[in-house]
Amino acid sequence: MYGVGILKGLGITLKHFVDTYVDDFKWGIRRYTSDEGFTARQGLETEGLFTVQYPEEKIAVPERFRFVPFLVVNDQDHATEPDADWCTSCGICAKVCPPQCIWIIRSTDPDTGRPVPQPKDFFIDIDICMNCGFCAEFCPFDAIKMDHDYELSDYDRTSTHIYNHAKLAKPLSYWQMIAPSRAEQERLSREADEAAKAARKRK
Amino acid sequence: MADPTPAIHNPDYPIPEELRNNIAITTLDRIYNWSRAKSVWPMLFGLACCAIEMIATAAARYDPSRFGMEVMRPSPRQCDLMIVSGTVTKKMVPQIVRLYNQMAEPRYVLAMGACASGGGPFKEGYNVVDGIDKFLPVDVYVPGCPPTPQALLHGFITLHEKIESQSITTVPWYRKGESEAIPVPILGPDLIDLRQASLINYMSTQTPEPPQPAAAAEEPVAG
Repeated sequence: MYGVGILKGLGITLKHFVDTYVDDFKWGIRRYTSDEGFTARQGLETEGLFTVQYPEEKIAVPERFRFVPFLVVNDQDHATEPDADWCTSCGICAKVCPPQCIWIIRSTDPDTGRPVPQPKDFFIDIDICMNCGFCAEFCPFDAIKMDHDYELSDYDRTSTHIYNHAKLAKPLSYWQMIAPSRAEQERLSREADEAAKAARKRK
Repeated sequence: MADPTPAIHNPDYPIPEELRNNIAITTLDRIYNWSRAKSVWPMLFGLACCAIEMIATAAARYDPSRFGMEVMRPSPRQCDLMIVSGTVTKKMVPQIVRLYNQMAEPRYVLAMGACASGGGPFKEGYNVVDGIDKFLPVDVYVPGCPPTPQALLHGFITLHEKIESQSITTVPWYRKGESEAIPVPILGPDLIDLRQASLINYMSTQTPEPPQPAAAAEEPVAG
């Protein structure tokens, strides 16, 4: 018989429509105002409408989410070197970057003319970046990490979407906030490395 | 983010004290832009993987009908917004430019994702255009590879802010005369942008200069 599929499909739509009101009566206003209501609406058990009211509420991104990279710098209240770059401008990230969207300007000592392990400037064209995370994966100093901020749209490409060092630098505490378990893991492995190095020196 | 009440939305007209609660003053721009920004109809076409993410945005969880954008029209005559969602190949760009020319003004272009904005991973590929902005005037660039649905929605909101900051007195589509169509590029041995045809003609008629002889080599030191 023709038309049964259409009726079934429309029945599903109607069921969700009715279930939205059932959910609304069950939860009341909390369905739209509280965090539990949002989680319940997004969960597997939800029956009614599950639309994310985007600018007001956002689905939390997972810790391993990758968007445009950022550079890790020391916190402002760091004991000895506030705001110091972790990046040594070694250029490994620029080499492994598949779409080649990273440019690094290395800095040199003005007196001796010898290179200083610090970037003078650091550019990422975020309109080329393919969010693969190779730079963060290959960086031997944990100095470049993938950000979670995806709200980057803008009106002009050349003036706003080629990020320089000032736009890329974010403190370590930001990385610890967006990816707590990975930051902790990296801190432990760095400390183990340093301990091993010190032990080698003592010998 | 733009100023919530840009200057064009503030008529700056003094209301007498006794009429404060009875009169609301706005500008024509505000009503005009409000109605325009809340009914932007995108064109129904996708080019690559970003289109999948655009479909996800158009589905129930992110639901662009909250912004009046759920009506994706398959005809350029009925569209306000062209979402260039994906890699723009040299073979596809003549069609895209033609579609843009067929759209009625006011029209907007949103470059979605790395490929449409700047070429992305294929930026120096033999068959890929490095960003649709080489041919079309792009209004909003949404970075990401691909942008998540929420990132695309942020691009939509950015576009709405742009629409709301335009003024009816300065927009190009109310000027006198017809607006110029963008010449459709020709797919040849390499893509020819007709807007640069005179430059290409000029350069092809010039005879290439003979290569300068290298600076005289130093006398080889004997021994």
